[in-house]
Amino acid sequence: MIIEMGKSRTWRFFEAVTACPKTVLVVVAIVTIATASFLPRLTKDTSADAFMPAEHPAVVYRDKVKETFGLKDPLVVAVVNSGPNGVFNPESLKLVKWLSEQIADLPGIDADRITSLATEKNIIGVPEGLQVEPFFVDPPETQAEADAIREAVEAFPLYHGNLIGENGQATLIAAELLDEEQSQEAYRLMRALVDSAPIANGEEIHVAGQGGVMGYLGKYVDTDAQRLTPLAAVIIVFILYICYRNLRGVVLPLLVVGGTLGVAMGAMAAAGKPIYTITNALPVVLIGIAVADSIHILGQYYDELSLRPKAQARELAVRTMMAMWRPVTITSLTTIAGFTGIYLSSSMPPMKDFGLFASLGIATAWMLSLVAVPAGLTLVKPRMSPALRAARRISKSPDRSAGNGETGQSRGALLGRRVGRAVAENPKSVLTLGGMVIAAGVIGLSQLRADEAPIDNFQFDEPIAVADRIINKLMNGTTSLDVVIETREPEALFEPERLRRIEALQRHIETLPSVRSTVSIVDYLKQMNQALFDNDPEAHVLPETADQVAQYFLLYSMSGDPTDFQEEVDYDYRLANLRVTLNNGLYSNEAKVIAALEDYIGTRFNSDDMTARLSGHVTVHYNWMNQLLSGHLVSVLISLIAVWVMSSLTFRSAIAGTLTLLPVAISVFLVYALMGATGIRLAIGTSMSAAIAIGIGVDFAVHALDRLILLAGDRAKSLDEAIEDLFPTTGRALLFNFLTVFFGFGVLVSSQVPGLIRFGSLVAVAVSASFIASMTVLPALVKLLPPSFLTEQFRIAQASRDISVRWERLGISEAPDRA
Amino acid sequence: MKTLTRRPMIGLLAATLLTGGLAQAAWVTPAHSATPETAAADAQALPSGDEIAARINARDDGNSVARSMTMELVDKRGKKRTRKTRSFRKYFETEKRIAIFFEKPRNVRDTAFLTFDYVEDGEEDAQWLYLPALRRVRRISGSDRGDYFMGTDFTYDDIRQDTKVSRSDYKRTTLGMSEVDGRACYVMEGIPASEEIAEELGYSRTLSCVDAEIWMVLKSEIWDLQGQKLKTIHTRDIRQVQGIWTAHLLEAENHKTGHKTTFVMSDVDYLAELNDELFTRSALKRGL
Repeated sequence: MIIEMGKSRTWRFFEAVTACPKTVLVVVAIVTIATASFLPRLTKDTSADAFMPAEHPAVVYRDKVKETFGLKDPLVVAVVNSGPNGVFNPESLKLVKWLSEQIADLPGIDADRITSLATEKNIIGVPEGLQVEPFFVDPPETQAEADAIREAVEAFPLYHGNLIGENGQATLIAAELLDEEQSQEAYRLMRALVDSAPIANGEEIHVAGQGGVMGYLGKYVDTDAQRLTPLAAVIIVFILYICYRNLRGVVLPLLVVGGTLGVAMGAMAAAGKPIYTITNALPVVLIGIAVADSIHILGQYYDELSLRPKAQARELAVRTMMAMWRPVTITSLTTIAGFTGIYLSSSMPPMKDFGLFASLGIATAWMLSLVAVPAGLTLVKPRMSPALRAARRISKSPDRSAGNGETGQSRGALLGRRVGRAVAENPKSVLTLGGMVIAAGVIGLSQLRADEAPIDNFQFDEPIAVADRIINKLMNGTTSLDVVIETREPEALFEPERLRRIEALQRHIETLPSVRSTVSIVDYLKQMNQALFDNDPEAHVLPETADQVAQYFLLYSMSGDPTDFQEEVDYDYRLANLRVTLNNGLYSNEAKVIAALEDYIGTRFNSDDMTARLSGHVTVHYNWMNQLLSGHLVSVLISLIAVWVMSSLTFRSAIAGTLTLLPVAISVFLVYALMGATGIRLAIGTSMSAAIAIGIGVDFAVHALDRLILLAGDRAKSLDEAIEDLFPTTGRALLFNFLTVFFGFGVLVSSQVPGLIRFGSLVAVAVSASFIASMTVLPALVKLLPPSFLTEQFRIAQASRDISVRWERLGISEAPDRA
Repeated sequence: MKTLTRRPMIGLLAATLLTGGLAQAAWVTPAHSATPETAAADAQALPSGDEIAARINARDDGNSVARSMTMELVDKRGKKRTRKTRSFRKYFETEKRIAIFFEKPRNVRDTAFLTFDYVEDGEEDAQWLYLPALRRVRRISGSDRGDYFMGTDFTYDDIRQDTKVSRSDYKRTTLGMSEVDGRACYVMEGIPASEEIAEELGYSRTLSCVDAEIWMVLKSEIWDLQGQKLKTIHTRDIRQVQGIWTAHLLEAENHKTGHKTTFVMSDVDYLAELNDELFTRSALKRGL
């Protein structure tokens, strides 16, 4: 047998571990507590920026642009009135005024940077000059006054869609924050304020904005942390109890879980890594994965115990570990391979951390399973698991394997045996079924859409998602793209020729899909020009000379703030920012807009004296998704290759390695088929499912194949018999292993984060498929095309049996002992 | 196009409560720094806020003045805009008139600005701007006292007062003595007289150092309606010109935006014969 090759060294190792079990457990406890002591240091980072590496050029440039133009992400309050006059009625305008004033009083809000109908000024030309004054100082008393305000606002095109919405049904109040880090608190205060607002005329009020985004994710993380981990723990304890129905069957695996969580999360805290919405799922996932090793070890322990009822605790523990260290090591390595694939292929910090610290946790679980579990087993008195004993009582009836030292024949075991027989007898049908799943997966893969809008990270009926939809419908939208225009010398942007090129660029951008508005310094100059030419609509054009432009800016400064226009043009008129607003934040749409825009800029806009470059949310999100998608395929490939290499090496057979990949391949194809069929898009979260499903799913195949080899070399006389035996023994442990992993990921369904819900369900489905395929497709394939490493085992076993028969004839009754 | 937001009194009250005492500038030495008795004695010795204001306004600043004024505007990234002007001021019967003619930069050359500031509160101030590119004089109306003047950090009211102070806008209290640029000065706190005035000015509190000898405001610290320190105005390079004390350097720094403004005066002449014709719309168009 393969395991005998390492016998002496490993045997000595497990003897050492079980020599002073109490010391081992104390050391484990100390290490766990020491690492867990870092936990209070954990911080959370729920910003959208957390998903992009800070050094990514798109992020670096975006930050530079924000700094240059003083751009901020405001909190946005939408006041909606669906009545005949829209928001232009005395009550609604009074509400806008009230909100504007109250918002200015909120802590953390920059009172000087609030934009609303109540704060904005109108630039109009009057016979004797230019008039710059607020649309209203005191809210109107009559509908006629409100109508006059509406007329004034509607005559100002720059405000269309960002200050007032279509049909005047909505108006926005934008409030900048003094410190964008504090957006979560500001959003909370804003929501509280809005809830207390005096609604007099059926207005609806919605709050949106980047601050809200962070606020919600922060809340999601907190709620998830409070609920998911305890829920997962309860479910796992329940499964463990059902599995062995005794204290040790629960306590030993939980010991491993505790150490795993302590080390993984403690290391995360010690490394100064924050909790992201994605890594928030890590404890839950680790709970599910970490118990697997102990479940298999305990299964073997009871198997050994039934073979040797009189054996000492320590001997049992060592024998158990001798049989289990190899499959436990392989499965740990393959699972680590899956998560390492995520770590290596992703450039997004949350996913990298997820891969890295999950790998660390799994490595810890592996070590604890090899050290703490045997130490623990040495300390307790050998006693049969009530679950297995009960199973035994039920099947008193003579069974052909009952005398063979089988671990009990419960109804479940009998059922398992029947399934095993069915698989062994109908391998072709099983394989056809597996093939059909793969075919469906290929079709699904062709249907797979990689797409996501940032707002998809929120539940559909969350106020922020509702606000997003309303603003996208009634106003210009919530998605912004910046086009930064750069010239070579100060005041170069006074030149009308350059301004006209910017204007042409704007007209082109406005033809692109989902673009609702473009605003640049050009629009303000045109507005001023019109005002200076007696409000003549014909005069809504750019000034003709550079001097005129310079003087317009001077004129404007007569009543404007020194920082006015800072968002549109820099202080020495060398750089300009052209802001594009879209009402669709989907990646697929962004990709179209960016491609068209880059083409236009490259072929028709850029020249020696003026160039344009893209920035803003759209650009960052677009790059972000590109990274995600390129990382996705790489992560799947890395996982597949790593798993195959590891499996092949440990089984010392490339064919065995390939065999273990088969059930996983089926499960991955099933995931793609599901995504294609249900329209779940490849996005953050879901993109990790495949690689992780490979790393975890392969465990079932490894355990199944290892057991088949063991059975082939030992009890089973034929392949059919081995397949049948697979079910009640390893099958049982695998079933519980499967259940813990399934629920570990399945718990994520109750997460607040839609991306985690999809991720959790996809992995849960995938591990189910892996489990079923490992128990059916794998044996069926082995049956149809018996690999040489397996038939070799039968031959050796047959030979040794022949020898033992000869020994018996010679009067030596002792058969060769199992390792 | 964001503008200063007006805020109700509640915020102002809260702000003054919060900042009162705590936010006192470092250069203030309170009069009552010693025992209560001496403090009381000192306080009696100090002129009252209203007395100081009256002395400031009584200071001779000439009936008219002609001067060159260079405005230097610097944003928080250190980028600079410089404008060179020739400006004139003259007192008329009911109003003070200021005419500013731009000389540099080239693209705004000959742009001219005229303002009538009426002494009586009832009359609305009037402003005109001549844009050479359009060859037309335009009236600009609706500038509030708290609005910024030509993209500088001075408000229209700061400019209008021109080193003088308003009699009715503030309740003034003398806090003690201090020193600015080596000159002894009275520290005077000003709180806007009413909610309306505070909102018009955009200020909730001022703390000024007034030269004890020549009655000129040397330095002012100003808090906004939220009680945050808004800006500092510093008057420097004070020299006598034709017997009249004249500040040649005015600096204003906005602490919230990081924006800075410097006015440098030169060729100050109080004796120049300034024809009334200079302060008319046609003169704006004609230029210097």
